[in-house]
Amino acid sequence: MILYTPLSENDVFPTNETDYTNRQCVSYNGKSCYVEQTENGEYRILQLLSTDPKDFLDMSYTPGNIIK
Amino acid sequence: MNKDSEKKDDQQPNEEQSNSSSLVQKIQALGQTNVPQAPDSNIHVLSIVGQVEGHIQLPPQNKTTKYEHLLPQLVAIEQNPKIEGLVILLNTVGGDVEAGLALSEMISSISKPTVSIVLGGGHSIGVPIAVSADYSFIVPTATMTIHPVRLTGLVIGVPQTFEYLDKMQDRVINFVVNHSNIKEEKFKDLMFAKGNLTRDIGTNVVGTDAVEYGLIDAVGGVKEAMEKVNELINNQRGNQQEVIQ
Repeated sequence: MILYTPLSENDVFPTNETDYTNRQCVSYNGKSCYVEQTENGEYRILQLLSTDPKDFLDMSYTPGNIIK
Repeated sequence: MNKDSEKKDDQQPNEEQSNSSSLVQKIQALGQTNVPQAPDSNIHVLSIVGQVEGHIQLPPQNKTTKYEHLLPQLVAIEQNPKIEGLVILLNTVGGDVEAGLALSEMISSISKPTVSIVLGGGHSIGVPIAVSADYSFIVPTATMTIHPVRLTGLVIGVPQTFEYLDKMQDRVINFVVNHSNIKEEKFKDLMFAKGNLTRDIGTNVVGTDAVEYGLIDAVGGVKEAMEKVNELINNQRGNQQEVIQ
């Protein structure tokens, strides 16, 4: 399918609302993390939001880690 | 006692399970089992990746940097006396003009030494963010696309929108000219150059060229950036001591 329109892709194909709701920013042990809720209700770390390089060496904030 | 030991026995298999599963997760996420430990750092790192997200939340498949996350971190860096320097890592395709300018202004107004490194790409609104630091580096393979500010989607009232975009573009140009060694004429030449980009006006500036034009201070990577930030920290310490005496 080829579209020829001045509209942006998002106006033509709006994103599903639920895509936004399963991702959120939470504070985990005092560090803010961007997490995704998995199907069984657990949270998986997507991104650690910190400027301290030391935090990135902490195993518990590794992206992909499951937190409760 | 018995109960305790029983409890321990019960817990052990669980712990082992969680240990092995976390090990698997680590391998999946990082490709390795352990990462090296380091002492407390006096230099903090701010990474600006993907799109600079503005007032509209982008769909989840986009990798974004959100200003509501970064602005408080920048204030925390300014306030924390243990943090003496800041390194900004840039690999961005650009994004919202006002969010990008907000970040740039915050970085340029921090009293602590700041050094930026452009890695991969620092396109569009990545340019003012890169030059907002006290000293900027670009790796030889990184590129920066300089092109006019524009809008995607619906436009209501063409002349008004044009004027609004023109003003917005002037803010970007002024910021870059004020915070780097590039001349306004040169930056505008690059921005409106024809024939460089196949389907667009503008210029794709590669590492060494960005330094030649005066946009970025030097070509270099992590080593150079860390040396520079440490040098700036030492200079600032020296200045403070002089004031005290």
